[in-house]
Amino acid sequence: MTKNQITKFQLFFLLIQSQIGVALLSLPHAVQVSAKGDGWISTIIAGLAVQVMLVVYWQLLKRFPALMYTEITKKVVGNFLGKLLNVFIYMNFILVGGLATILFIKLINLWLLPLTPGWMISALILTACIYLAISDLKIIARFFVLATSLILLLWFTSVLSWFTPKEFQYVLPIGSSGLKNILLGSNNSLLAMLGFEALLFFFPFMIENDKNGVIKTVSLANLTITLFYTYFIFITLISFSTDQLAQMREPLLNLLRGISYNMIDRVDLIFLSVWMVPMATSIITYLFAASKSLNLEKKNYPKAVLLNGCILFLITLIPNEDAIITLFNQYVSYLSYVVVFLIPTLLLILSFLMKKHEMSESR
Amino acid sequence: MRKISLIILLVLPTVLTGCWDQRLLVNRTLVNGVSFDVTEDGKIAAAVRALNIQSKGGGLFEIQDELVEAKRPTIVGLGLDLDSKIPGELDASKAHVVIIGEDLAKKGIHPFVEFFYRNRESYMSSKIVIGKRKGKEILSVEKEKSPIAFAILQLLEGAESDTVIPKKSTFTVWNNILDPGKDMVLPYLERVKQDKVQVAGVALFNGDTYTGITIAKEKSGLLMSLMNQLNKNNRMALILGSKRNGRSISFSTRDIRRNLEVQVDQDENITCKINLKMDIEVISYPQDFKSEINIKKLNQDLSDEFTKKAKEITNTLVNANCDAFGIGRQISSFHPELWKKINWDQEYKNVQIEPVVKVNIIKTGNVF
Repeated sequence: MTKNQITKFQLFFLLIQSQIGVALLSLPHAVQVSAKGDGWISTIIAGLAVQVMLVVYWQLLKRFPALMYTEITKKVVGNFLGKLLNVFIYMNFILVGGLATILFIKLINLWLLPLTPGWMISALILTACIYLAISDLKIIARFFVLATSLILLLWFTSVLSWFTPKEFQYVLPIGSSGLKNILLGSNNSLLAMLGFEALLFFFPFMIENDKNGVIKTVSLANLTITLFYTYFIFITLISFSTDQLAQMREPLLNLLRGISYNMIDRVDLIFLSVWMVPMATSIITYLFAASKSLNLEKKNYPKAVLLNGCILFLITLIPNEDAIITLFNQYVSYLSYVVVFLIPTLLLILSFLMKKHEMSESR
Repeated sequence: MRKISLIILLVLPTVLTGCWDQRLLVNRTLVNGVSFDVTEDGKIAAAVRALNIQSKGGGLFEIQDELVEAKRPTIVGLGLDLDSKIPGELDASKAHVVIIGEDLAKKGIHPFVEFFYRNRESYMSSKIVIGKRKGKEILSVEKEKSPIAFAILQLLEGAESDTVIPKKSTFTVWNNILDPGKDMVLPYLERVKQDKVQVAGVALFNGDTYTGITIAKEKSGLLMSLMNQLNKNNRMALILGSKRNGRSISFSTRDIRRNLEVQVDQDENITCKINLKMDIEVISYPQDFKSEINIKKLNQDLSDEFTKKAKEITNTLVNANCDAFGIGRQISSFHPELWKKINWDQEYKNVQIEPVVKVNIIKTGNVF
């Protein structure tokens, strides 16, 4: 364990890379479905909800600093119930990972490689992901830090789009969609926000000295992502009218599509080729979390990653139809609510009532 | 073991390149201009100017420009018809100019824009223009000279930087069509004698339909200013006073500041006040050559003249039911209750637009 440790700095980027991925490109559409011009408020609210959960996680992790999510469940509710919960947790990570991969492949098929069969793209992406997920968390973390420069690239590319016509009045009057619709918008942005729950798996791997300040690090990561999302939603909201946003699958790519220079054209395609890396990093995180949640011995971990990679590949063979994917998305998000929000909160309450924590056990 | 598998992983993808999504330039026919028209029997006629690139070996290419036409009851399938008429695969990813004939534009241009934005390959920066009479008339100019679309493109870019016409691409037109609170104006081209094309002004739209009313290029510069648009420069020339012995002046606008205010009174009458301040540089003023220009008086005369012209323009806009200033958007933002109540398409006619133009000469060139 001593070698395979990560610092606070690396944790920050691990979380950012886990959260930012394929969902960002279609996020403005997902949010505007209910929140219309107030979509940017929805992401801020979603960010606040994530922040509340991070505090819950922090309280839970403080009690069990050396344990992962799936080990904590066993400790708090006992072996049998714990294992049952772990099945849900494992299912969640595999399915969310599968959904992210499906959306990734769909995007590549739609924009870049229309004729290449999905299974081929899936196989290529997943081999790369498995290759990295098999490594130590330390190596994954280093790669994620490096890959964050690509997220900065998105920001720089978006600056180019400032020069296309903008209409601030699309977001006016502020709050016109009503609180209910804004909250529904927050709900729709869940898929883009997911990934922070990986903290429950990263935490035991942190350097002992860094563990105390983790709440600051994760809050900073959450703030960064919330601001990042809000910025992109805002910029698409003022670029496109509501009716237009309702038509678009990937508003962000369409925004870049409108940029044209004599020397460079179709910025969206150039951008998408680079954006593959941040999309893949989310899949790596899910693969990592799913494999860890099996609670295997260290030497069996690579086999688990390989197996889970194959399961992801099988999931991506599901027919690539809008209706099926929407349905899949819906069920996965119910499961995510349970695994990401409900179970950790219950665990915290139970461990608080039963006064269980690692220290008392060891004594 | 691990190294070997890594090497296999690295080699495999390189073998795969070009298996499915490979498109060679020599197999494609690049479209550089498209026109759409409606025929007498109500069908849609499309014409494309296409560049046919043929490899002659040794890195040499032969380039031919051709005009191909097809007819169909709707736009759907026109692409297939055109594709079957030209050698190689039709490629609209560089269609720089889309010309829509005015009769067709009166029926709505959305289907023709939709074709471009839905298609992932197509070019979002192509210019969309309205052609006087038939779009094909303009596209077929100077057949032997190739490719014509680039000449039209240059013409449009020149007019854009002179702020005679707005900068409009598929991208912005798509946005405008779907925005209920604002209408657009599109460049209006005509074919003149001796096989030339010129910018005739701007065509006024209501939603996605052409209203049949245009504003001539002499006035469209002022319309652009009223819409708060100024590109590189905006040159205008006019005669003050009577046509015969009036004073003529030409100038270039350096800076504009526009203030648009929408007021709603208790009876829900909508008034829109547009205050436009223009800083101009005199280019030519051949009168009073013995003395300096009386700047104060000239400022006043120009302001009066332009206020009068601006009023004419806004009247035309209201008659055409073209909300080019986005007054509807202002109402929906600042008077959302009223916006929900009214049918903007009908209410717009009752809007009072009061433009006031103030001209300020800041430069007089090399002489006083």
